[in-house]
Amino acid sequence: MNPQLKGIEQLSGTYAFDIRISNKTLKLNRFLWKMIGKEWRERYLADPEAVMQEAGLNDTEKELLRKQDWLGLVQYGANFFVLEKFARVARKTNLEVYAIMRGESFEEFMQTRRVPESR
Amino acid sequence: MAKIIGCIGTSHVPTIGVAYDKGRQNDPAWAPLFEGYKPVAAWLAEKKPDALVFIYNDHATTFFFDMYPTFALGVGERFPVADEGAGLRNLPAIKGNVDLQCHIAESLVNDEFDLTIFQEKPIDHGCASPLPLLWPHEPDWPGAIVPIAVNVLQYPLPTARRCYKLGQAIRRAVESYPEDLKVVIVGTGGLSHQIHGERTGFNNEEWDLEFLRQLQFEPEKLTQLTHADFVRLGGAESVEQIMWLAMRGAMPEKIRKLHQNYYLATTTAMTVVLFEEGEEPAQQAARSSTASVPA
Repeated sequence: MNPQLKGIEQLSGTYAFDIRISNKTLKLNRFLWKMIGKEWRERYLADPEAVMQEAGLNDTEKELLRKQDWLGLVQYGANFFVLEKFARVARKTNLEVYAIMRGESFEEFMQTRRVPESR
Repeated sequence: MAKIIGCIGTSHVPTIGVAYDKGRQNDPAWAPLFEGYKPVAAWLAEKKPDALVFIYNDHATTFFFDMYPTFALGVGERFPVADEGAGLRNLPAIKGNVDLQCHIAESLVNDEFDLTIFQEKPIDHGCASPLPLLWPHEPDWPGAIVPIAVNVLQYPLPTARRCYKLGQAIRRAVESYPEDLKVVIVGTGGLSHQIHGERTGFNNEEWDLEFLRQLQFEPEKLTQLTHADFVRLGGAESVEQIMWLAMRGAMPEKIRKLHQNYYLATTTAMTVVLFEEGEEPAQQAARSSTASVPA
């Protein structure tokens, strides 16, 4: 256990992304990271199954992506900063993904914010 | 010799860049943010620094987790602004100063900060989101950037104390540069926010303001915090505030605040703060009253 992270397990709804997790989820995170590139995005949109296969993803990872299970992906070990690149491909804004992770509708979530018009 | 003339702490939320590009400077939801940067931009326009040492993090854009540097410094006359998947921004490539960057790299490594050096690599919103709010960019940026990327994404991260020491080493590096350049240190990220998991949307204004106070007056205290402390107090992604400690480490003991803007609109407490070397009036008063007490 990294002593700098001592106590973090007591914070519910928080998933520290460390090298142990990263090592297990590297293929998934690389798949998500490559969504920066236009060619990868277009190939994925044209044939998602083929591109997920090419990326070496396992069945659990493929299913999480098919369902666009944003919270499930984070809990599994997707890093949010590559997940947001996939969100662009799925035509979701970060604010929409935040609402989903909290289990709220978008409008419900925005009403919890100080400036709900800021979107 | 080169001289550090001040430091700026700033959020680097990507939506700042999006709102800027969409021209939402006068939109009531965004104006408090943009207005808050104007005094800092005016200070920079007046002081005309030659270079900004920009302590930022790459958001798995240029670097990926299969090789992710703890500390990395960019060397180059130009760096493209990264396309993070949403298209290119209408900004000139970020300008560098190879001689200054190389000197700082040499000084830091000889000072036992064993950096990765990157060249001809794009720089993402960690630097490019606040930069146009600080400096004009038409027709080109008025000065050079020394980009220093810190791993705040994949634990183990450098400790708060290590970042503070990096700042102290940056000061030694800048002050040993032979040319009479004016340099400003910029620390980016924060303040409170969490953008993953069910705890997404967490903020803590009380802690944010206390962090700003300690940053100015008791930075050593902040270096004792663990990453878990930052996550608990300010939300998971607020751990990037260790980059503000690197900025603070590059400044002398006594600094005075010239400007602060705090705007918590949705998920991130968007903050900009400007410091110069010197004392606050209250510190001066306290010192002179102590001095006048008869022995």
